[in-house]
Amino acid sequence: MTTSNVPPAVRLEGITKRFGDVVANDDVDFTLEKGSIHAVLGENGSGKTTLMSVLYGLYDQDEGEIVIDGEPRAVESPRDAMAAGVGMIHQHFQLVETMTVLQNIVLGHEPTENGLVDESAARDDVEEICSRYDFDVDEFLDTRVEELDLGAQQRVEIVKSLYRGAEILILDEPTAVLTPQEVESLMAVMNDLRADGRSLIFISHKLDEALGIADDITVLRDGEAIGTVRAEDTDEQELARMMVGREVLFDRLSREAEPGDPALEVEELWMSGDRGRDQVQGVDLTVREGEILGIAGVQGNGQSELVEGITGLRSVDDGSIRLGNEEITDRSRRARIESGIAYIPEDRQTEGLVQEYSLVRNALLGNQTVEPYATGGRIDWSAVKDHAEEIIEEFDVQPPTVENDAESLSGGNQQKFIVGREIGHDPDVMIAAHPTRGVDIGSIEFIHNRLIELREEGLAILVVSSKLEEIQKLSDRIAVMYEGEFVDVVDPERVTEEELGLLMTGGSLEDDVTEETETDTEAQA
Amino acid sequence: MSSGVGRLRTGLDRAAAKMLDATVLERIGIAIGSTALALLIGLVIVAASGYDPIQFANQLVVGSFGSERAIARTLRYSTLFVLAGVSVAIAFRAGVFNIGVQGQFIVGGFATVVSIVSLAPYLPDGTIGGVALMVIGTIAAIVAGGLYAALPGVLKAYGGANEIITTIMLNFIAIGFVGWLVAGRFGDPEATATRTERMPDTVGFPSVVFDDPNLSIVGILVTVVVVVVVAAVMTRTSFGYDMVTSGYQESAATYSGVDAKRMIVSTMTFSGMVAGLGGAIFAIMIQGYFTDPSGIGNYGFDAIAVSLLAANNPLGVVPAGLLFGGLESSSSHIQINSDVPVQLIDGIVGLVVLFVAVPELFRMIARRTGLGGESR
Amino acid sequence: MSVADYAQRERVQLAGATVVALLIAAAVFTFVFDIALERLLTVGFLTRSLEMATPIALAAIGGLYAEKSGVFNIGLEGFMIFGAFSAAATMYLLGGTSPSQLDVWLAIAIAVLISAILTVFFAVLLIHFKADQIVAGLAVWFLGLGFAPFTAAIIWGSRSSPGLESINSLAFGQSPLVVLTVIVVLASWVFLYRTKYGYWIQAAGENPEALDTAGVDVNRVRYATVIFSGAMAGLGGAVLLAHAGNFVGTGETMVDGRGWIGIVAYLFGNYNPIGAAAAALLFGGLDMLNVQFQTVGIEVSARLVNLLPYAAVIVVLTAWGKTRMPSSVGEPYESED
Repeated sequence: MTTSNVPPAVRLEGITKRFGDVVANDDVDFTLEKGSIHAVLGENGSGKTTLMSVLYGLYDQDEGEIVIDGEPRAVESPRDAMAAGVGMIHQHFQLVETMTVLQNIVLGHEPTENGLVDESAARDDVEEICSRYDFDVDEFLDTRVEELDLGAQQRVEIVKSLYRGAEILILDEPTAVLTPQEVESLMAVMNDLRADGRSLIFISHKLDEALGIADDITVLRDGEAIGTVRAEDTDEQELARMMVGREVLFDRLSREAEPGDPALEVEELWMSGDRGRDQVQGVDLTVREGEILGIAGVQGNGQSELVEGITGLRSVDDGSIRLGNEEITDRSRRARIESGIAYIPEDRQTEGLVQEYSLVRNALLGNQTVEPYATGGRIDWSAVKDHAEEIIEEFDVQPPTVENDAESLSGGNQQKFIVGREIGHDPDVMIAAHPTRGVDIGSIEFIHNRLIELREEGLAILVVSSKLEEIQKLSDRIAVMYEGEFVDVVDPERVTEEELGLLMTGGSLEDDVTEETETDTEAQA
Repeated sequence: MSSGVGRLRTGLDRAAAKMLDATVLERIGIAIGSTALALLIGLVIVAASGYDPIQFANQLVVGSFGSERAIARTLRYSTLFVLAGVSVAIAFRAGVFNIGVQGQFIVGGFATVVSIVSLAPYLPDGTIGGVALMVIGTIAAIVAGGLYAALPGVLKAYGGANEIITTIMLNFIAIGFVGWLVAGRFGDPEATATRTERMPDTVGFPSVVFDDPNLSIVGILVTVVVVVVVAAVMTRTSFGYDMVTSGYQESAATYSGVDAKRMIVSTMTFSGMVAGLGGAIFAIMIQGYFTDPSGIGNYGFDAIAVSLLAANNPLGVVPAGLLFGGLESSSSHIQINSDVPVQLIDGIVGLVVLFVAVPELFRMIARRTGLGGESR
Repeated sequence: MSVADYAQRERVQLAGATVVALLIAAAVFTFVFDIALERLLTVGFLTRSLEMATPIALAAIGGLYAEKSGVFNIGLEGFMIFGAFSAAATMYLLGGTSPSQLDVWLAIAIAVLISAILTVFFAVLLIHFKADQIVAGLAVWFLGLGFAPFTAAIIWGSRSSPGLESINSLAFGQSPLVVLTVIVVLASWVFLYRTKYGYWIQAAGENPEALDTAGVDVNRVRYATVIFSGAMAGLGGAVLLAHAGNFVGTGETMVDGRGWIGIVAYLFGNYNPIGAAAAALLFGGLDMLNVQFQTVGIEVSARLVNLLPYAAVIVVLTAWGKTRMPSSVGEPYESED
């Protein structure tokens, strides 16, 4: 790197941030050069948002130092950050929806005249910023924020930060909510800001975007900075390897039983996400008895919606879902539980467990209409308690006390409890969404072994994960999901991690690892 | 520690362990603290107004539990507070804020009177007819209360209307509309006061145990049964588990197969049914007819405090209801036997309600005074 | 397009349609009962409607400020009772049963002050101690219903006061308090939508985090609005008293639900001070229409007519759904630092 007299815009030195026992950032160093764009890449939960929240004063670091423009700073609140010239564009915009764009931009820094807000002065200032960076925000200054699409709201956020005098801008996954055209215009804006001498941090998990816009790229994984590279010196494959890593080498467990009949079949499934766009676009999949189908993909490509569609938590727009020979597309969540779909949910904190319930009461969650725990609407608490004790013993949940509240357990033990409970349903189909996210190594091994055992017992299992080693270890077939579609279905024995990484980011492979030759352009799992 | 029989000891240990559960203890502490602080302020006001606070405190006790009559009166009011309180507790436990218990209570009680008065000519006189009428009237109240509560439930689940506001509005509508009916269409032209026709004499609970025309062991029994049934439904049935889980953590309830919208409607209906039943007891056991509902007392509003005082636990509603019943009862006593204006009791009730709303205040007091034990 | 969607897009129209419907209903009444409209809509009717509307409008303005900033002050009714009673008591202490006009004005000012002081306690409970806003608000109502008549009984030996003094009218029989209310309404509109403090209030209720990250203390804004809401409700009660000339503490007291109607008025007026005042005028007119009907001999139940606002607000809420309410109402705000 060239030496210069200008101090870097931001230097983070040895930042460590813990939440209870979880280390979200572990001794992270990070340097943002003045007038550059620095991408921070990492999977969800890798600690990138935490790191930036420390810089923006939303969290206090446990260890480490923040140096801005060569000066060590105590950044204890967003106000301190702003005073130091740092602005942040959050994933959830900090905008007042019912107020106009102009009011939002000047909020807290309103120019006044005779006690009233001097709108024309505010307008002049904002228009000046807009014309300098070629923003279109000045065209809708009097529109309420709620009437704008997300791309426009984001530009309002950027203008707001600039109005407050931000020299350093943090953009937290700014492209996640944007259409491709909007992404392009955002990139143009970022280029202009850089050209004007401002320094930008761009948080993302999209490799191509980072490569396309950034000068430097830092990759975070499990709270640690894996490394910083110049964008011009690297490529997607290297970044993908850095992101997913391979610290623990898992052996693929050889299979004994052969897959049987189809247990779960999904045909031409179309679903909308919370934002109303097509999140699942005509997905076909089949999971057979005694088979694990892994779905790999970067978060946000429709996996969550797909899982919610199959488990009955989100309505489908079109297509069909069959369990064995039964059509279940229109069945309620409860009916699906009763007909034998078990589900290890993506979010164990809010969905999988009631935090303030004891483990006994949590053992009933999802089982409340299932015999022997409930007969004719009456709960048999002693049966439930026995069940809870079985789970604790069989799945080695620590501490082994069924009267403890769920919230007192560590993440790994919570997850083991959920896995135990869901297996206890005696299901035909198991849907496991990120079954080992945030779980310690020992519990990961344990959960993996149990899933494999279940497969050997003839269960049909669908595993969704963004951890490649997990998918490769568990799956009999891997479907790669990208932008709501299956881009390919591959054989885990023959595909390399690099190839998976490429598929997950929208690339394609030569046909040699593709398991089935497809006549359609779309893959079917 | 006692050196009793081993079996007894394990039983006691278990009970003690449960009592020492910090949250239970804390809730009881907050309930007692709210009541004590409210009474204390009340006494200070009595003294400041130039009356004798000791005498007033004495009258509070005498007026609520000092004689058989006072006890009967206390129990009479308590049944209503308990029923209305259970109704509130059902909704609050499920995370639905039914502030409309007053209205559901009124609609239920009115439905009882109307159905009984209009059906009385078609049923035989005597006990059998009376019992039949009471059963019909009670069912009418439960149905009417349930439906009147289901309405804001539906509006919330499918229309997004905030149930706090709609139930408050429905209270006023119930008061006004029933009041209009009582004064007009269903009014008794011969009565001097604004009220409906009197229900036939055969309608009324027998006066056994208590020699009070407005209190019957039947009313108390019904109340106890409701408390036990509701507590059992909440803790021992799938429906109750669905309901309580929705209140704790809606996303987990949905994960476990609860239809959130339908749950809101069922919760409101269940809550309103109990409120309606309260209205039926009020009409049959106490009034014998139905008067203008603007003057029947704030059972449904006070019930919110009763339920909160009990941490929304149906069993805890019983002591909380007795407290409110006692206060209401002593206000009848004080009105006659004391110079202190009786509205003070309403004010004290207001203070209890106010303090119950602020558990944080008592946590702070406990921390400052070191009464809270180990800091959690 | 569903009804809700339609209604969401056509906010103002729905309120307008309600007004039109009410006018049509009025027209039908006059036709059916063959009453000449001019006998109903007299100058006196307008004057009295305005007088009826002022307490409601003042309480509504206060309530909407609090709710705009994220705190639901459901205790308006209680603060109105305290305001009305304090005004009566002050008037009596200053001038016995024949207070002067100056005493009346002083009484109003002191009532506002007392209500504001009471609200300070309330605000501390709500904001600092994170009290349950609904229950604490109901408690204020109970406190008003209890302590106002109690203190009245101590002062006057009865829950109601003897005849005191009403405020003198200006020219054309118009009360100066009506004029004052009009000024308050306009000023509160300007303040809310044209000053930076108004921006902060709106932001505190919609997205407190956005306001906090802009460097403004959210809870300070909320303290100010809650105290203001109590003071306004107190002013409403005092104005009610100054028009009536004596305090009535029996039943639901002389306030008799006007604080609740104030809440309805600002919901109806879509949290806009002018809209709230217009709704208050509508409800005041409705109230007077009852009196008017009686004087011209039409049998319409006043009680039923008085329920219209409540029913209307349920319809409006269902049609508009939760989008209208400031999104952070009822949530205590804790800053990250």
